Amino acid sequence: MSTASMVPPATLDVASTPRTPFVRLVQVEWRKMVDTRSGFWLLTITAGLLALVMALIVLVVGLNDFQVDARGISQGMTIPVSLLLPVFAILIVTSEWSQRTALTSFTLEPHRSRVVLAKLVAVTTLAVCTIAVAFVLGALTNVLCAAVTGNPLEWNLDGSELVWLVIQQMLFFAMGFAFGMLLLNTPGAIAIYYVIALMLPLMVWGTLYAIFDWAKDVLPWVDLGFAMAPLSTGADPLGRPVDVEAVTYVQTAFTALVWVGVPVALGMWRILRAEVK
Amino acid sequence: MITVDRLTKTYGGFTAVDDVSFACQPGRVTGFLGPNGAGKTTTMRVMVGLTPATHGQVTIGGLKYHDIPNPGRHVGSLLDASAQHAGRTGREILTLGAQTMGLPKDRVDEMLALVGLTETEAKRRLRNYSLGMRQRLGIAHALLGDPAVLILDEPANGLDPAGIRWMRGLLKGYADRGGTVLLSSHLLHEVEQIADEMILIGHGRIVAQGDRNTLLSNAEGATTTLVTSLDNQTFSEALTKAGYVVDPVGEGLRVHATSEQVGRAALEAGAVLTDLRSGGAGLEDLFLELTSTTQRDAVPGGPVHEHMPALPPMPPVDSPTAPTGGPHA
Ligand SMILES: Nc1ncnc2c1ncn2[C@@H]1O[C@H](COP(=O)(O)OP(=O)(O)OP(=O)(O)O)[C@@H](O)[C@H]1O
Ligand SMILES: [Mg+2]
Repeated sequence: MSTASMVPPATLDVASTPRTPFVRLVQVEWRKMVDTRSGFWLLTITAGLLALVMALIVLVVGLNDFQVDARGISQGMTIPVSLLLPVFAILIVTSEWSQRTALTSFTLEPHRSRVVLAKLVAVTTLAVCTIAVAFVLGALTNVLCAAVTGNPLEWNLDGSELVWLVIQQMLFFAMGFAFGMLLLNTPGAIAIYYVIALMLPLMVWGTLYAIFDWAKDVLPWVDLGFAMAPLSTGADPLGRPVDVEAVTYVQTAFTALVWVGVPVALGMWRILRAEVK
Repeated sequence: MITVDRLTKTYGGFTAVDDVSFACQPGRVTGFLGPNGAGKTTTMRVMVGLTPATHGQVTIGGLKYHDIPNPGRHVGSLLDASAQHAGRTGREILTLGAQTMGLPKDRVDEMLALVGLTETEAKRRLRNYSLGMRQRLGIAHALLGDPAVLILDEPANGLDPAGIRWMRGLLKGYADRGGTVLLSSHLLHEVEQIADEMILIGHGRIVAQGDRNTLLSNAEGATTTLVTSLDNQTFSEALTKAGYVVDPVGEGLRVHATSEQVGRAALEAGAVLTDLRSGGAGLEDLFLELTSTTQRDAVPGGPVHEHMPALPPMPPVDSPTAPTGGPHA
């Protein structure tokens, strides 16, 4: 209502309002992530689990005078990260639908892809922070273990493996985001994520891989974790050391495309066209 | 300011909004009236880009909603006051909106004060809000960006009488300052008091539009009078002879004429009247007639008046006999 003239204009004076800066959208999404109880508890539980894993490792090592190395610790610390971060990624998308806040979000920013991208940036920032915290705690665990056992401190962590481990975590995390976008339903997305990212690899693929030869050829084309195992652990899924071959990169790219790229594309298509109720 | 141009929205084979065109002028309050399921909410959702149109389009100030930069600063909308995170406090919900629009923090306090939510109420989570408190919060959210256009879906829903009166004043003031207000309702008397212009919609189609007087003049045929005289039988014959349609109702008669016409007929016939009154608001009847075709609307008994018989079956809205409003004034 900028005008004081008698005949109000029938057009909008939009020159004074530039479009919402992307950074502001990210800040709002960040705020939405942590201003609810579910967000708060998810953060608390993640932190608590990290501390718990750290304490367990130190305890076991201390009691058994058992040699643990930085590689083992880093793999231990990824458990809470890989369990809970994807839930964040799923919730940031699906809660807009379950709580129906998408109505407001998309009314205030009708370019829906910008909102989705802002969400991705916000939740990725959170993931990176969490991984950084896990890394620091892991290093601390290593120091503590050495102090408790009196063993020499060892930093036998392979830099490239660590980088790939982080990339793998981020891909699984993006997979959660993608499933959230595709299903727009919290329980459904979480269930499917856990089945595909955790249960199938542990209970089905692992068994097949150990028993059948064909599975050793097929599964790295099917499962992201199996495809990336040589890169992030330096070993095949059964723990036997292997060298990284060119096909490993192709398999990684292929499974990432299937489990992250395709659902993201379909999910975006769905969100852009959806009627927001 | 808001221009709806041949808007159609279909869901599968069902047409929720059928070739609807109208305009809302700045400086005026436009009431959007229709029974349940008429297509009001759907039309409003298309306006703010939440529902894609099947055909046609809506522009606001000449722009599609999608092309308005920072639209919350230009168009305030309230479509569903419950569509907020149940776990956020009222203040947090407004703060998120203000932050998205790039507004200063004190705007939130201003709006909370405006809609009469106290400091402690603002700290409560939405799931613990009463219906009226949610509605107030929703109105506050719509007003946050000081928009020139307001689109409100049943804003009075759940408000107490004081709140409704307050809202009426607020919307009038908004329009007087040059704002464009579109509000929907199914309660005619609620809209009648504030709307300068009314759009009547039934079954996804506009059945009439115009200001109160235009609508009433179209509705003349619907005006009836309830009358009781000492000798209804004789008076009824006199009325029929004078060319009026008369139905016996309860203790009296329903005459398809104005009270004045009936009074004059009584004078001529020398009938002694014991009761003479209007047989319901002309607009109300018009509204019901124009918009009711479904079983849901045909309430047995008559909702308006004790004298009223069960409504006769109405012609379908989109039948050729249904009156339609003239072109938009
Ligand atoms: N997604 C959908 N799929 C199928 N039908 C729909 C959908 N959305 C709305 N409808 C139908 O469209 C019609 C118009 O609904 P709308 O919500 O616009 O009505 P309304 O005028 O707002 O009614 P009320 O006064 O009850 O709020 C209804 O019959 C509704 O069932
Ligand atoms: Mg509605």
